[in-house]
Amino acid sequence: MTAIETDSLTKRFGEDVLAVDDLTLTIEEGEIFGFLGPNGAGKSTTINMLLDFIRPTDGSATVLGHDAQKESGAIRRKVGVLPEGANVYDRLTGREHVEWAIRTKGVDDDPDEILDKVGLDHDDATRQAGGYSKGMAQRLSFGMALVGDPELLILDEPSSGLDPNGIQEMRDLIREEAASGTTVFFSSHILPEVEAVCDRVGIMNEGQLATVDTIENLRDSSDGQATIDVELGGIPDRIDLSSVDGVVQADVDDGTVTVVCEDPSVKVDVVTTLAQQAEVVDILSEDTSLEELFNTYTTGDAGSSEERVSDPAEVTA
Amino acid sequence: MSIANVVRKDFKDVRRAKLVWAPAALYTMFMLLFFWGQSNGPANPNFYSLIQGLAGIGGVMLIPLIALVAAYLSIAGERESGSIKFLLGLPNSRSDVVLGKLLARSAVVATGLLVSFAVAVLAAMVFVPDMTFEYADYAVFVALTLLYALTYVGVAVSISAVSSSRSRAMGGAIGFFFVFNLVWNFLPVSPRNMVQFLADKLGTDVSQNTLDLIWASSPTGAYFGSLQFLDTPQFAGGMSGSSPFYLEAWFMVVILVAWLVVPLALGIWRFQRAELG
Repeated sequence: MTAIETDSLTKRFGEDVLAVDDLTLTIEEGEIFGFLGPNGAGKSTTINMLLDFIRPTDGSATVLGHDAQKESGAIRRKVGVLPEGANVYDRLTGREHVEWAIRTKGVDDDPDEILDKVGLDHDDATRQAGGYSKGMAQRLSFGMALVGDPELLILDEPSSGLDPNGIQEMRDLIREEAASGTTVFFSSHILPEVEAVCDRVGIMNEGQLATVDTIENLRDSSDGQATIDVELGGIPDRIDLSSVDGVVQADVDDGTVTVVCEDPSVKVDVVTTLAQQAEVVDILSEDTSLEELFNTYTTGDAGSSEERVSDPAEVTA
Repeated sequence: MSIANVVRKDFKDVRRAKLVWAPAALYTMFMLLFFWGQSNGPANPNFYSLIQGLAGIGGVMLIPLIALVAAYLSIAGERESGSIKFLLGLPNSRSDVVLGKLLARSAVVATGLLVSFAVAVLAAMVFVPDMTFEYADYAVFVALTLLYALTYVGVAVSISAVSSSRSRAMGGAIGFFFVFNLVWNFLPVSPRNMVQFLADKLGTDVSQNTLDLIWASSPTGAYFGSLQFLDTPQFAGGMSGSSPFYLEAWFMVVILVAWLVVPLALGIWRFQRAELG
């Protein structure tokens, strides 16, 4: 059985904004699926449509076999949700949050067990959540999502606000849930997080699904690509790499040019060409990784060999 | 029952908010001052005059204030903070949310008011021991005031349900109070006066009864009209003698109930279609 299925799912906001564009995606039961993409790519909009927070402009979606709009109640009984950017209730204690979720779902879970599982101790649990750190609030949200041992967990940016330790624990919890048969659908804009736990990933960019594949396949297809950082003496007015064949992408940040090459042999040409245009101070060659692939899918001119000089903030988003 | 869980959660949450209790505390203070003032007043204080005073200031200012403050953020506040996604990520329907909020906030408001009204009885005993306290009529007065407060809670929850942010909900609440209370019943530009003015200009005649109905068709007007239930000529007002059914006390209750039901139905309808992005 499929856990989530979308068929040409489309969402427009007003005339101009096409937040999700013709998304067709199937997630099988038992999978850990990473929904990846930069901020604003349409991930949360998709999740909001699955949960009937917003309605599609076109297309349809089913969750656990139920229509996302007509049978939203049935979906939300079976699904655990960790919403993005949702503040917990300041004046309720952690325990009251979980007790409420338990009652609303009509199950008989032990709130203390759940709180313990997500790393909130007795003192935390009896405190009003208004005093929680972002990380604690995120743990509490995750705890509420776990109530009723749902068949499917929909987690929107689950690690946001967590410190590295918390991220690691969150990963372990997700794996643990998945091991017990729960399907996990989670979104993230951070690749390593997805890479570490997911069976499959879908990469969203500007409302469209850029690719869906297993981590292994993506890694294979990213093989061959290579990245080189070249530090230049002084900031040159203009860098031109258009004469070099095999340049996938180039960015300038201060005096450092970062170039993604089709294969490692291109690196030499890049350095030679740069040396003709500016003084090369240092060269740093990185291992190939999924990161570049992610960048290629999520920046506008993937695959073109034209020089690309852009605002670094835009690239790292 | 999902509504019950929304109510329970919301009541737990909101009862810890000091701002919600502030107007009720104010109202209690006002009660105490009011009765204390009476102890220095006329030698033979009249119960119905006191009630009229309470109904006047309560109906115009305090009851709407208490109810609007208690409820205007009930849904819009959760939309702005994003916590609405917890509410609706769990198996609660949108109408569960609106009705649950209505019940929880009504409970908060009713609790505050009942305490105030109980304090008023004690205050009356202490400050104006000579006055005959008409308990039966006081109960009627309390019941009608609670209904009036409830309509304002309903309006505030409805405004909150159709508002996408706190500031819009606040604007809506203040706007409603201004139009359907101050303008409608107390300012010279009231709809009743407008109709009369237009009728004069056009040379036609509008009956006093029609004008009275226009005046009484706001929640505040209907509340004052409903006080005809009290067994005294004090509240008959301009509606004396053989008034038509639509100016009788029971019809005023119908108007109040309509102010509760209609905005709420609209609020639910709009909220069910709202996009909670």
